[in-house]
Amino acid sequence: MSSDILLQARGIRKSYYVGTPNELEILHGIDLDIKRGEFVSIVGQSGSGKSTLMNILGILDRQTAGEYILDGVDISKAPNKSLSYLRNKHIGFVFQTYNLIARTDAVSNVEMPMLYAGIPEKKRRQRAEELLEMVGMAERMHHTPDELSGGQKQRVAIARAMANNPDIILADEPTGALDSKTGRLVMDIFHELHEKQGKTIVLITHSNELAAETPRIITISDGNIISEKTNGGKGVA
Amino acid sequence: MIKENCKLAIISIKANKMRAFLTMLGIIIGVCAVIAIMTVGNSMTADVKKQLEGYGVQNITLYVSQIDWNEEISEADMENMLFKPDVLHKLSEKFGKRIAGISVEASVDGGKVIRDGKTANVNILGTSAGYYKANKVKLINGNSFNQYDYEQGNNVAIVSDKFIEQLYGSEYKPENLLGKEIEINSMEEYINVTVVGIYHYEAAGQRGGSKNITTNVYIPLKAAWNITHNKDIMECVVVAAEGENATVLSEDIKLYLTDAMATQLGDKFMIDAYSNQSMIEENTKTMNQMTMAISMIAAIALIVGGIGVMNIMTVSITERTREIGTRKALGAPDSMIMLQFISEAIIICLIGGVIGIVLGLVLGNVAVHFMGYTPHISFASIYMSVGFSMAIGVFFGYSPAKHAAKMNPIDALRYE
Ligand SMILES: Nc1ncnc2c1ncn2[C@@H]1O[C@H](COP(=O)(O)OP(=O)(O)OP(=O)(O)O)[C@@H](O)[C@H]1O
Ligand SMILES: [Mg+2]
Repeated sequence: MSSDILLQARGIRKSYYVGTPNELEILHGIDLDIKRGEFVSIVGQSGSGKSTLMNILGILDRQTAGEYILDGVDISKAPNKSLSYLRNKHIGFVFQTYNLIARTDAVSNVEMPMLYAGIPEKKRRQRAEELLEMVGMAERMHHTPDELSGGQKQRVAIARAMANNPDIILADEPTGALDSKTGRLVMDIFHELHEKQGKTIVLITHSNELAAETPRIITISDGNIISEKTNGGKGVA
Repeated sequence: MIKENCKLAIISIKANKMRAFLTMLGIIIGVCAVIAIMTVGNSMTADVKKQLEGYGVQNITLYVSQIDWNEEISEADMENMLFKPDVLHKLSEKFGKRIAGISVEASVDGGKVIRDGKTANVNILGTSAGYYKANKVKLINGNSFNQYDYEQGNNVAIVSDKFIEQLYGSEYKPENLLGKEIEINSMEEYINVTVVGIYHYEAAGQRGGSKNITTNVYIPLKAAWNITHNKDIMECVVVAAEGENATVLSEDIKLYLTDAMATQLGDKFMIDAYSNQSMIEENTKTMNQMTMAISMIAAIALIVGGIGVMNIMTVSITERTREIGTRKALGAPDSMIMLQFISEAIIICLIGGVIGIVLGLVLGNVAVHFMGYTPHISFASIYMSVGFSMAIGVFFGYSPAKHAAKMNPIDALRYE
């Protein structure tokens, strides 16, 4: 049973020091387990600490206190040097603002995590093309980000997040900058990844409708998890 | 990896062409200056060297000179400034294989040979056996003088092909003149000599009217002495053997002669020697010093250029903070981020370096052309410039790249 737990957070706290001694605690001890293959959404008011938590789960940031174990690795004890490797192998990010690398075409953007993983050029290219095809971007492979619409950019970003076949995809408001129709398209890709490929996905969203589609919903308020809900079925709009 | 980084660097440079170019200017100017100066310097050195080599690098000219130039010298002193044949003889025995020959010449005078209304101007020169080697005279027909000719001072001569052409026309076969007697009109006297050899006349330096060229007619040294009634040897040329360092040999000979001629030299005179070898060395040395001095100035330009590169890298990295954050989120290790920006700095410097090399070569060759030398490209300076610009890229790109690599991923991602 425990091997099924991909991600385990215990008493995660995060403080910022906005000039000593004014310590500002944003997360007040978060406990969270996420099993392999889960699709979880995190909701909560703006400023409640959703992104802060996500960044810690994504090893982009370190917690001030608490324990975080990802796929059996105790991140709090991992040396700084190994963090880039852990991000590269285990985590795929999808950002609200896409964060594609400018002046670099879609295929090269998708290849990037594989480049850092040291995968040979031919293999990289092949997988990147497959992934772009999967998100319906086969025709725009050689377009640079400034030649793509927001929805297209986000689809490239999802393909990029999938590049190294990570254990978990972390998406921070991936539809936040998109209209509802395009958002729907992006959301459908997440569902597909979850259902067809059994990907573990954590999604932050402000949309209750989108959250309602996911099997598990976590609500954060003022740096605490205040409620958890499990949906039996997957609601589809 | 290297390929990827080069690609990234070129993309980034292309995105800011003007900025990259302005940054490169320092490098371009520095490298251009180095290459231009090196090209000019090298061409000059090579030309001077070639010229001196034409006169024979292995030749050591010996003469007696006064120690104190203000002192009056008497008639008797003049006698002491001459080399005695037997001293030279001993010298040749002493140094044996280290010297290829000793050349002594005695100028008789100018003269002319007239035949069928055609005139050839000549200069009669008494020579020792070593003369031909020292002066690179190339015999094309007949023989040089034999020992008998030298000892007896026979009236035999070696003339030039040019001389024959002047008198007999270009149709005439030079070898037909061998064994024939010619009459030279010199100092209102007629000297009859038998032609035994013909050498190839090599035009020296300027091309003038080919009509009035005066060529040398060589006769044995003793024959010349017989004509002039003067056996003074004021100067002699020792030809160093193949592989012998002329500069070293010249010092050794000087020491030997100073000793051998001690009584004659007294405290008024000394043996002086100079060789083209030492002149070449001297010349190369001053040239190198000059090149070094100017290169130092160019190096300063390069360092200023390097600081420009550092500045632009810092700006570029700040601009791309979010990109760096994204790359880190995707799992780029610090070393890769570092490599990316150092590559960019190196490529900026390298492009600047290459532009500088091309401009420097053009500039240098134009300058060399106007100075009248033969262009001579210094490949060493090209390799050095390429290496140096890369080193500047590494050196001045290191600190900004390190800064980029050390960025905290979340701070970089959030940077606005
Ligand atoms: N570097 C920082 N220094 C100080 N305070 C910070 C810093 N980063 C975030 N915060 C604070 O932490 C709190 C939580 O921010 P966070 O971005 O996690 O909110 P969020 O729940 O993602 O909100 P939103 O839904 O608007 O994205 C905010 O009050 C913010 O001001
Ligand atoms: Mg947020």
